[in-house]
Amino acid sequence: MTKERVLVAMSGGVDSSVAAALLVEQGYDVVGATMKLFCHGEDVPDRPCCSLDSVNDARRVCEQLGIPHYVLNLESRFGHDVVDNFVDEYSRGRTPIPCVRCNTFTKFRDFLKKADAIDAQWIATGHYARVVTGELRRGVDENKDQTYFLWGIDRSVLSRMILPVGDLDKARTRARAHAMGLEVIAEKPESQEICFVPDGDYTRILEQRLPPDAPSLARGPIITSSGVVVGEHNGFARYTIGQRRGVPGGFGSPMYVIAIRPQQRAVVIGTRDELLGNGLIAGEVNWLTDPARLGDRVSVRVRHRAPLARAEVVRLDGDELEIALDEPISAITPGQSVVLYDGQRVLGGGFIESARQHRNSLPVLAA
Amino acid sequence: MANTPVYLDHAATTPVREEVFEAMKPFYGPRFGNPSSTHRWGRDARAALDEARERVGRCLGARPDEICFTSGGTEADNLAILGAWRALKAKGRKAVVTTPIEHKAILGAVHQAAHEGAEERFLVMTADGVPDSASLDLLVDDDVAVCSMMWVNNEIGTIQPVPELAAKAKARGALVHTDAVQAFGKVPIDAQKQQFDFLTISGHKFGAPKGIGALFIRRGVHVEPLMHGGTQDRGRRPGTENVAAAVGLARAAELTLAECEAHCARIQKLRNRLETGILAKVPDAVIHGRGAPRAPHITNVSVPGTDSESLLMALDLRGIAASGGSACQSGSIEPSHVLSAIGVRPDLASAAVRMSLGVLSTDQCIDRVIEVFPALVAKARQLATAH
Repeated sequence: MTKERVLVAMSGGVDSSVAAALLVEQGYDVVGATMKLFCHGEDVPDRPCCSLDSVNDARRVCEQLGIPHYVLNLESRFGHDVVDNFVDEYSRGRTPIPCVRCNTFTKFRDFLKKADAIDAQWIATGHYARVVTGELRRGVDENKDQTYFLWGIDRSVLSRMILPVGDLDKARTRARAHAMGLEVIAEKPESQEICFVPDGDYTRILEQRLPPDAPSLARGPIITSSGVVVGEHNGFARYTIGQRRGVPGGFGSPMYVIAIRPQQRAVVIGTRDELLGNGLIAGEVNWLTDPARLGDRVSVRVRHRAPLARAEVVRLDGDELEIALDEPISAITPGQSVVLYDGQRVLGGGFIESARQHRNSLPVLAA
Repeated sequence: MANTPVYLDHAATTPVREEVFEAMKPFYGPRFGNPSSTHRWGRDARAALDEARERVGRCLGARPDEICFTSGGTEADNLAILGAWRALKAKGRKAVVTTPIEHKAILGAVHQAAHEGAEERFLVMTADGVPDSASLDLLVDDDVAVCSMMWVNNEIGTIQPVPELAAKAKARGALVHTDAVQAFGKVPIDAQKQQFDFLTISGHKFGAPKGIGALFIRRGVHVEPLMHGGTQDRGRRPGTENVAAAVGLARAAELTLAECEAHCARIQKLRNRLETGILAKVPDAVIHGRGAPRAPHITNVSVPGTDSESLLMALDLRGIAASGGSACQSGSIEPSHVLSAIGVRPDLASAAVRMSLGVLSTDQCIDRVIEVFPALVAKARQLATAH
């Protein structure tokens, strides 16, 4: 019997390790691979070259499972598609979401090509999401659901994806790891927020990669929505919508960053009410089902772990999309994603271009 | 259908020969003594070590006191470069010269010397992978402490004109080191006739175990030891000697030289058949260094429109072991510094696959590679156009 081959992306963490182990159990011809995506070199002494510890853990798991393990060097593509874009987005006053682009371009495009090269029909990851009858659905564990990061992948890839832990919750995943003897990784902590930001301080990456006189890291005014200058900041890239840290006080009510205006290098602050949006415009829209139509009622998520919100599709224009929200949402942030759901199904998503203060309604069509 | 696995990575390592293993066994059993001890067990081990030193020396045209056993090629390279530089820097010889196509053991040691104040100079390479003689004349001046050139390149197999280069460098008063890890048993080495001051060999490349190598140090040349704490090997290499491995190295070296001519003729024929077979099916394949004199056991081929990472993975899953450039510590394949240094286009450099032949290579192995490699290449190219 010829078993179908599956290439599993293994980070050395518990989720992808259990994913590989489950596939071995199910009788697939499993090949493990760890992607080398960045190299801190000598900059970060406690994390040697190429996240070596992660690679070692993934290799140990593969050795234990009796499957081959490879390290794939996707550093230059990842640097181009993900890290450069990350820096570019901040310098345009937006708050990027690199995991989406990593999934779209690195894991479910470049990695898929490696699968092609070894005649692997399938690719698998440790994502908490499910593929059911050719559609992407939220993971069973609502707390861990990662579909927010998966909307950008090419729809055709769905038919080649296996997401073995999407049916589990995190506790059961860890339990499976113990049960299968994968003690090396069973109790590893959750992975850090952004893999290539070594200490959680993204501004260090910006400082390393942008010229010293970059406008996004230079001083500029802090202003109110009516244009009154109330302070100074040392680089708008250090701010994100909804942030309170670094915002001057003395206004009677708490103030938040409500907008960033890169042309003026301005950080705009306002009250909690001014942070609310009733709609949004998204670009680079991608559909994982047939495209939504005008007037469709959907659920949307505008940031990871935010509650789902009811909304309506009010404009569709090429790869641009406008959504009107039933209830206002706080801190709709350009650069983040909006993901559209119908129940558990992921319809698609896009990158938020701007929030709409006022609720737009469907255009009244003549005739 | 199960195919016998094909091992084409002899430049990485070779299996320990049965005769070598047999020769070593007594030293893991009854002849376990420490050669520094004065009693009969010690004397017995000492006798074996002395004899091993003489035998390795004979294989290189060297005297026994010129052989320093090390843990392998990397240590020997470091001892030569850093030992010579540290011994000579006080005498005003401030520069270390090497080529950009050396093994990382040399490049790393030279870099360390630079860190300690040396001036590192790299010879310019021709497209054939040999140093440009004008650059040698320019860079090897009378301020050079040590000049290091590998004899056979480990990635592409090209043979450097070491005796000629050594003579030139010696004329300027520099010490000359050559990394002969891939050259031993493939090119004639004779310390009596050739002018190098240091020469590195590594046992596991020719049937001895991993963890043993030797550095030839010409009589009268002083090196600063890398380690401190004992008087073994005249203080050049403190630490209790690995007697069993030294005996194994001696046995493997003798066998290798005794069989050298027949072995080289055999694998050269296989290598040529492999290259002809690949070129017949993939006419635009590029075989690096093909225009230069090459050792018989290495071929390095790039097919435009492919990448070595995917090819190596696909080959491995079909049971064929080959290798790419050098692997970083994570195991990911990095673009080859050797191919870049000899001016190979980046897309070709990232497609390079090294196959190295040796004792395990047979006609059947070659047949299988000639069948599988072009098929994988065709598939990779078809995917590249599809994407």
